[in-house]
Amino acid sequence: MKKECVAMLLAGGQGSRLYVLTGDMAKPAVPFGGKFRIIDFPLSNCTNSGIDTVGVLTQYRPLELNSYIGNGQPWELDRMDGGVHILPPYQSATGATWYKGTANAIYQNIGFVDMYDPEYVAVLSGDHIYKMDYSDMLRRHKDSGAACTISVMEVPWSEASRFGIMNVDGEDNITEFAEKPKEPKSNLASMGIYIFTWQKLRQYLIDDEADPNSQNDFGKNIIPKMLQSGEKMVAYRFDGYWKDVGTLDSLWDANMDMLLPGSGLNLLDKKWPIYGRTPVCPPTFVGPRADVGNSAVAKGCTINGEVKTSVLSTETYVGQGAAVTYSVVMPGAVIEDGAQVSYAIIGEKCRIGRGAVVGAPPENTADPEQWGITVLGPGTVVKPGEKVAPKTMLDKSHNEEVEA
Amino acid sequence: MKGMHGIIFSYEKPTGLRELTDHRVHGSVPFAGDYRVVDFMLSNMVNAGVTDVGVIMHGKCQSMLDHLGTGKSWDLSRKNGGLTLLPAFAYAERRESVGQFRGKMEALGCVKEYLEHIRQDHVVLGDSDLVINIPLQDVLRDHLASGADLTAVCTAQLGDSADTYFKLDETGRIIDTVRDIHTPEGYRCLNIFILSKELLLHLVEDCVAHNQYSLRGGVLQRLGDQLHIRAWIWEGYAARIDTIQAYFERSMELLRPEIRTQLFCPERPIFGKENDAPSSYVDPDGQCVNTLMADGCDIRGSVKNCVLFRGVQIEPGASVENCILCKGTVVKKNAIVRNVITDKYVTIRENGTLMGHATYPLVIARGAEV
Repeated sequence: MKKECVAMLLAGGQGSRLYVLTGDMAKPAVPFGGKFRIIDFPLSNCTNSGIDTVGVLTQYRPLELNSYIGNGQPWELDRMDGGVHILPPYQSATGATWYKGTANAIYQNIGFVDMYDPEYVAVLSGDHIYKMDYSDMLRRHKDSGAACTISVMEVPWSEASRFGIMNVDGEDNITEFAEKPKEPKSNLASMGIYIFTWQKLRQYLIDDEADPNSQNDFGKNIIPKMLQSGEKMVAYRFDGYWKDVGTLDSLWDANMDMLLPGSGLNLLDKKWPIYGRTPVCPPTFVGPRADVGNSAVAKGCTINGEVKTSVLSTETYVGQGAAVTYSVVMPGAVIEDGAQVSYAIIGEKCRIGRGAVVGAPPENTADPEQWGITVLGPGTVVKPGEKVAPKTMLDKSHNEEVEA
Repeated sequence: MKGMHGIIFSYEKPTGLRELTDHRVHGSVPFAGDYRVVDFMLSNMVNAGVTDVGVIMHGKCQSMLDHLGTGKSWDLSRKNGGLTLLPAFAYAERRESVGQFRGKMEALGCVKEYLEHIRQDHVVLGDSDLVINIPLQDVLRDHLASGADLTAVCTAQLGDSADTYFKLDETGRIIDTVRDIHTPEGYRCLNIFILSKELLLHLVEDCVAHNQYSLRGGVLQRLGDQLHIRAWIWEGYAARIDTIQAYFERSMELLRPEIRTQLFCPERPIFGKENDAPSSYVDPDGQCVNTLMADGCDIRGSVKNCVLFRGVQIEPGASVENCILCKGTVVKKNAIVRNVITDKYVTIRENGTLMGHATYPLVIARGAEV
């Protein structure tokens, strides 16, 4: 049946800058905020915005993501007509190709979008933490009669050169787009969230595919091309919380933001709920000698030690005398008695042995260059008494990975 | 077909649950932070491979209907079989009954047509107010191996004198069934029974014909000599939630790890209704010890020895000890609360003091502001 707007969620990236965390899974499947995974945010935004047809474009290590999304029921995307669809690259009579770029991923699924014959298509990223009402953005898109609406937010001028910057006129029509400009003319950064009028985008995708020099990327090719061709493109200003969690530091930051009043990311916000698939487990037990403060705790945990300014995901265990501070602990991890974990991201089902020390506070490290967040990939076992230095990244075979 | 069909009894009956059953039947009383009591029996059945469950309800069943819905949370929303809700709509016209079912056989008699259409060759009957995590597939296996007509689950742990007790012979056969005895002895009946569909239909017909409405009186006692009735002795945890005192003590017991490991074992998970609450948050000044805490709580005061359901808010300066706070309870600033059970969406006002006693906890009805 015809839909007004279909969302296409780009979830195929490896997330190589999350290093050991994405060794076995795509970035959008990485756990976030105790109960969620990153992809819960865009999916829940769709549900809350009334978009009931979502294509999820997957490519890198899709098993975890596919099984997590399943039939889409947690997001109410198990619909008779529409719902969530996983769209991996496929083979066709003329051959098989991987998704060459973000635009190519949509190009290869023109047939999927056409099936719903939508007026508009929202192109979303699977690795952003934010709560946005796409229906409001869509209203702006329709009212302005644009071919493309790009959601933007003001960033500090000092950081503007790290983003794709939109220069706009007095009516927020986009006049110029500059990818990571050295001397930014504006501080409106693209958030990588687009709404297109489908028939326009469809043609640009076909033309882009025919161009052998194109990298088939939205930011690098499609958007500049549309601007060049004089299409009406408008900016949609967003002033809520938004973070690209593509790096370990930003992933850690976003988790910590959830604990920080006034950060804009309110954990207990009831107005714009984030849905997720949660495992079946009993409530959390906080033991008689536990000391929990400024922390988010999901269900199924057992806490017998100290947990300060940290995020504990479902079914994690903190033993007696253990201390977890300024850390993100992902589902099923076990921190045994007396272990110390600070400024760390502990992957799913890791086991930190008795008395082990993982990470350290910055004030305990002499050389600031040597300090950083310590990260353990899923399934890593740290032996009792072992020390894992700050800024170290370990995977489950204890191979150390170094930040490039 | 082979396998078991589940029947859960969830009709209104007199209990000592006071305010907690003002709006609901005892089976849908909230328990253990994230569940309704009925979730345990339902999960037991599902974990034993039961795919079809009928829930017989009568009386204040709105809350139970809401809770069970299509049965999706227990994976019982199926094209064939699945969960069937059996409210006693046609009941009033039947016989001389008034208001409540007087016993299990009467309840079964009212859904006889449903029973006739059961696909499986065996049926397990269970109560909705029993907190237990039991491998029912083992009970069925032993039932089949023993060649018994009826197997009744019981425990050596004695309870009230009002409970039903079995006397067994050395082979495990039940030779006498008694209740209201001065000093409880023998094995306490846990009201879980397994029998063939065929026998069940026969017994229902026979009991209706003889004006027998209770399973104890009409079957266990009356036909005890004619049927081969065996006991299956359960050595694990079982708790019936039928009085406020039992509710309070059983809830507080959950703070002991050895009780929780018996109730929440990974090989037989207890399924509750899924929810979208975020993680709970404990503030820098919040304190939370020896407490069972569901999702979505916001702890800014002090909490000790409590069971907190979803979305409980404890404001700064408030102090809560030995309490059971149901979903959405708000304890405002500087309130002091001890030995209190609050039903859903209760608000305790600023600077208020509410004290119950461990042997007589205070119960606050749903939605009250005190």
